[in-house]
Amino acid sequence: MNLVAAQIVNGLAIGMLYAVMALGLSIIKGLLNVPNFAHGALFAVGAYVCYTLSTIGAPFAVALIGAFSGAALLGFLIERFGIANLTGGSYLLQVLFLFGTALVIEQILVLIYGTTGVSLVPPAMLGGAMDLGFMFLPRYLVFCALVGAFSIVAVWLLIEKTRIGSSIRAGIERREMVQCLGIDIGTLLTLGFALGAGMAGLAGGIALPLLGANATSGNDMMAIAFVVLVLGGLGSLYGAVAAGILIGVAQSLTTLVAPSASTLLIYVIMTVVLLIGPKGLFGER
Amino acid sequence: MNKNLLALAAVVLLAVVAPMVIPISIANEIIVIAIFAMATNLVIGVAGLYSFGQAMFFGAGAYLTGYSLTAGGLSLVPSILIAIAGAAALAGIVGAVIIRRSGFYFMMLTFAFNQMAFYVVLVWSGVTGGEDGMAGIKRAPVGGLDLNDRSVFYAFCAVLFVASYVILRQIKKSPLGLVLEAAKENPRRMASLGYSVHGAQLAAFMISGAFAGLAGSLYVLLYRFVPIDSISWIMSGNVVFMVVIGGMSSMVGPIMGAAVFVWLQGLFSLLWAQWALLFGLFIIFVVFTLRGGLIELFKRVARIRRAGEAHHG
Amino acid sequence: MAEPVTVLEAIELTKRFGKNTVVDGVSLKFPEGRLHAILGPNGAGKTTLFNLLTKDYPVDGGEILLRGERVTRLRPHQISRRGVGRSYQITSVLRELTFFENVWLASYRADHAGAPGLWRDFRAHWATAEKTRQVLAELGLEPFTDRKAADVSYGDQRLLEIAVTLATRPEILLLDEPTSGLSQRESERVKQLILSIKGKFTIIMIEHKMNVVMDISDDVTVMNRGKVIASGSPAQISTDAAVRSAYFGL
Ligand SMILES: Nc1ncnc2c1ncn2[C@@H]1O[C@H](COP(=O)(O)OP(=O)(O)OP(=O)(O)O)[C@@H](O)[C@H]1O
Ligand SMILES: [Mg+2]
Repeated sequence: MNLVAAQIVNGLAIGMLYAVMALGLSIIKGLLNVPNFAHGALFAVGAYVCYTLSTIGAPFAVALIGAFSGAALLGFLIERFGIANLTGGSYLLQVLFLFGTALVIEQILVLIYGTTGVSLVPPAMLGGAMDLGFMFLPRYLVFCALVGAFSIVAVWLLIEKTRIGSSIRAGIERREMVQCLGIDIGTLLTLGFALGAGMAGLAGGIALPLLGANATSGNDMMAIAFVVLVLGGLGSLYGAVAAGILIGVAQSLTTLVAPSASTLLIYVIMTVVLLIGPKGLFGER
Repeated sequence: MNKNLLALAAVVLLAVVAPMVIPISIANEIIVIAIFAMATNLVIGVAGLYSFGQAMFFGAGAYLTGYSLTAGGLSLVPSILIAIAGAAALAGIVGAVIIRRSGFYFMMLTFAFNQMAFYVVLVWSGVTGGEDGMAGIKRAPVGGLDLNDRSVFYAFCAVLFVASYVILRQIKKSPLGLVLEAAKENPRRMASLGYSVHGAQLAAFMISGAFAGLAGSLYVLLYRFVPIDSISWIMSGNVVFMVVIGGMSSMVGPIMGAAVFVWLQGLFSLLWAQWALLFGLFIIFVVFTLRGGLIELFKRVARIRRAGEAHHG
Repeated sequence: MAEPVTVLEAIELTKRFGKNTVVDGVSLKFPEGRLHAILGPNGAGKTTLFNLLTKDYPVDGGEILLRGERVTRLRPHQISRRGVGRSYQITSVLRELTFFENVWLASYRADHAGAPGLWRDFRAHWATAEKTRQVLAELGLEPFTDRKAADVSYGDQRLLEIAVTLATRPEILLLDEPTSGLSQRESERVKQLILSIKGKFTIIMIEHKMNVVMDISDDVTVMNRGKVIASGSPAQISTDAAVRSAYFGL
């Protein structure tokens, strides 16, 4: 029983990571309609920025902000100087560009940090476990779930309650509206991409004390985020959040019975959903 | 008709001349990877299905051949046939699940399934060798041919390469090819004419998978080793890159794309251990410069020359 | 005289987009061999009705019977294979292909029941190529045989649209505003064409141009706001009060 509860908490924490990743992808998909194949690399960037800032003594909160900002800045550059200049040609070129960018980012990370990978002990305040009487709850998992939830809410507030957010939303839902509102669509796309990229970086930062990081560890995350996005249904921005959490918990619970099957389970769920429901779990389209 | 023969002659000539002008091992890798690139062009260029999971089928062919030859104790030809059939079957299963998704979803799903295949190989290390790959593969003789001889093995691959070219080109020009081209533009109209668009696309996906499996199988025989990279998503991205730089309008384009890829990979890896970084930069560079692929570049040059001649004449 | 056989029948067909019920319980019978016109103001749901009959859109309610067989759950290509051909209001020829290739695809499908062949060059399917040339000739389109559809005038694209539909050799022909966007002369040409094939097919035609409808159709149905408001002969319809108010604004 305690084990199950522990796995549910673990699943919530991991699920939040998936949700943060997938929400970032979802924003980028909504605005630019490209699958961001650099999302995994941006996740890794976030993890390494977080690692570097922590090792030079920055507080963990600052390291996380750095993870977000570093990836967001990269995302800004990728959109402004890359994708934005590839709009006339084939759709494939944009996708290939993202693929090439992912390779470059990963290789630069290898160049700087080597291939062995790094890990980070969570700060003392977040280390250890809380005794709930019936179970021990690792503090960092709680933190992970909270930060994930917090950042999702922040994005929600940004999109629903601010001017720039409402134009992002308009950009996703009806492109032609944006021009009428007199907003420069180019700027909007760049900012949207940066925001999505930043979320990948943030997920990387949060995940570091939990999973460690190496240059290519983002790719598994990216694949899972893709699955989450498909499951959530691409019609809605927030379907991804629910699907992410669901997947995290399901995966975590599977670990109890068949640890090595837990990742496979994600794909099994995806296949089943694809076969029975053409719209994903929460999608409108 | 003439054009067909001419292209065929060029492809045969390429296969014959290549080992004389470049190291035979590189020529061999080029023709093997070219099969993979042509197979991929059938889904990407002809059918317009942007698959980012082609390495799944290449890798399936590679591992099936590796396993059949080592633990399976089979001889060479059955091992290759198993690779082809297995990869086609895998494509059939994956395709049946995802073929109804288009564009963005299709790309993500092919990638996700590719990653799943990678994960299975990684975890199932008792059979696949996990991260270390699968070694100890021998090329058993086929009907008295000693395939351990480099030239004989090259000739063996070259025959399969030319055959693959002919078959894939025929398919591109066949009714199925035209149906796929048309469905790429307007699937709804094709359905209203009475074509099962998903059926045609699934067929293309499976055929592509079969040839990708053949390529993977030959790749393993070439290096006597199955690297786990053969099933990684990087391989999927690379082959899309080959098709795009080569140009998708014919099956010759992907051959050129494969040649450029293999040659550059060799060159970069001589220059620097971190060659993948150079390669990534090269992809970015190419995306910005050669927007229509090499074929388009040649056509553009030809057009400029023709315009020049017209001007003078 | 015996009742003509009903080849296609809609029973209480309904389609909703969000909160809008765009086709609202439409029941219609189409007897064999007749030319049935469907009239109605913009947005009446005529095209949507076609999209339901051909299953381009899923049906939200009601049934479709094709020669008595319930086909409500079939896919568009299965409907087509049962002898229903259609043209689209928005020209949907394959713009990147030539006239020959466009019509060839339709003829080939009529010639081959199974999956498309994957070996012989499509041009080397001689019998199909021959039939393709025939259809192009019948519609006076031979001069365009090797032209890309994107490169010709709108009027010629409309004719190609009809040629493609005819080349599937359907028994039931659904034409969605075949003369829309055409000049007076081009419309006349299409009208003559339809007259010349009338009787050979069961034709259901959406049409705005009154003169076209009144001259050539046998039966007329008028739709408004997703519902059938009148059905009858052209003469009856032109004097129907409900129709006059809804459609002519009188
Ligand atoms: N795919 C769709 N999604 C949402 N609404 C639709 C869709 N297709 C049609 N509609 C709506 O359904 C209504 C009927 O459209 P329909 O095209 O059937 O009209 P119509 O009678 O063919 O008109 P017209 O004479 O202009 O061609 C319109 O209000 C239209 O906006
Ligand atoms: Mg209409």
